[in-house]
Amino acid sequence: MNWLRVFFVGGLTSYRALFRWLNPWVYVPLMLLYPLFQIVFFAYVGRGAGLGSDRFFLIGNALATIAVACLFGMGQVIGNERWFMTLPALLSSPASRLALFLGRSLPTMLNGIFVCAFALTTGSLVLGVDLPLGAAGGLALAILACAFSCTAFGMWFGALGLRGRNVGILANLIDGIMLVVCGVNVPLRDLPGWVQTVANGLPLTHGIGAARRVVAGASVGSVGHALTMEVVVGLVYFVVGVGLLHVFELEGRRTASLEAF
Amino acid sequence: MIRLAARGVLLQFKILSQSAFDMLNAAFWPLVFATIAYYLFRSGSHARSLFDASLGATVMTMWATCGIGAAFAVQWQRRLGTLELLVASPTPFIALLAPITIAYAALGIYSLASTLLWGRVLFGIPVDPVHPFLFVVSLPAAILAIGMLGLLVSSTLILYRAAGALGNSLEYPIWLATGLLVPLSLLPGWVRPISWLLAPTWGMRALRESALGGSPLPAIGWCLVTSAAYAALAAVFLGHFERLAREKASFALT
Repeated sequence: MNWLRVFFVGGLTSYRALFRWLNPWVYVPLMLLYPLFQIVFFAYVGRGAGLGSDRFFLIGNALATIAVACLFGMGQVIGNERWFMTLPALLSSPASRLALFLGRSLPTMLNGIFVCAFALTTGSLVLGVDLPLGAAGGLALAILACAFSCTAFGMWFGALGLRGRNVGILANLIDGIMLVVCGVNVPLRDLPGWVQTVANGLPLTHGIGAARRVVAGASVGSVGHALTMEVVVGLVYFVVGVGLLHVFELEGRRTASLEAF
Repeated sequence: MIRLAARGVLLQFKILSQSAFDMLNAAFWPLVFATIAYYLFRSGSHARSLFDASLGATVMTMWATCGIGAAFAVQWQRRLGTLELLVASPTPFIALLAPITIAYAALGIYSLASTLLWGRVLFGIPVDPVHPFLFVVSLPAAILAIGMLGLLVSSTLILYRAAGALGNSLEYPIWLATGLLVPLSLLPGWVRPISWLLAPTWGMRALRESALGGSPLPAIGWCLVTSAAYAALAAVFLGHFERLAREKASFALT
């Protein structure tokens, strides 16, 4: 019972306190307008290059917003404990670490889903892209899978926040790399083979591919493998992320560096 | 004043060059945009110069670093506890703020270097500007114009607490409206007059025409004209907000 209380109540409270972008003056420009502008921009870059597929850029960039919400979100909801000087108090509590940190991941994931849905809807309206109603189920599954894998990847940044000062810089770097290699704006087949191999191990790649195929008319069953791969990638990141949280907590205690900057 | 501005830009440039966050933005993000543009331009049906993509990515980053930095410049001085000292000094505040925003734009030098090197090494893009001298002149003209646009943004967003977020969200619209990677002819007609008012349009045009051929001098001239106009407007806004802040004694309030 206490585990569930820490997971749900503690998770939500921590999220509201530590995810600094929840302030509407920040949330609207960064989480709602920025993704929409990004979609429109890359759609026009595609038009300018003569590629002419707004749908490609709409889906890629809308799903990429999940990475922004989840990578930075998880980085903040754990890493900001250090900035707000509450990390030692948190880690000296007897609460289950899994409940503590997983509880923060649920709101992060839900936020990623909301931001993506908003970007998809408004982006399709602005660009005049028709998203078939029949694809809604498959799209929802792809968004869910991407939100899970990105949140799991985000746990790495949260874990690094137990050791490092500014995980935002690293999240920024990874976000940029994902924008290039995960098939967000550049078709995977155009990238070098080794980049495709790396991309297959990153969140978003399989989910974006599945979403594009579903919108193009494929059945959910036919993209089942891609969706499963997205979840498997997420599971791997999740397991490693939980391990990193544990290792960095022990290391922080051992070196007395939980309050160090 | 000239000595103050030059020293100020140099000092701020050195400070920013020590910042991992700003250096990442300046040297890494243009590579992201340039790489995407290279692939799209190569596989698209419209022939586009990859050198042009490098320049577009450079000016995009120049505005991005300057836009965010400028939007946050006054708040940052306030947080450091130096805002009151700067305002109280006998030098006009605008002469102290402008070097900060110009220094942010000057980080574009790193962007240009990293993008050209990246394009040359990985994509074999030759770096052979048609007018080398004018290319060298175009860069500081673009930096000045974009820095002064940053000054204008900074002066208008003083009272907005989340100015950094707003500056961030305006990146893409300004990149789009100034034709950095997308030809303006693709955009609705009403965007064109807006683009004329925005410094990156002229900075990009100056760099593009000196690099790929054309007559960059008018664009360089427009960089100077827009810079002067931004400075005049910023002086008005700053004077107004400085008076308000003095009346309310709110300089030190975060």
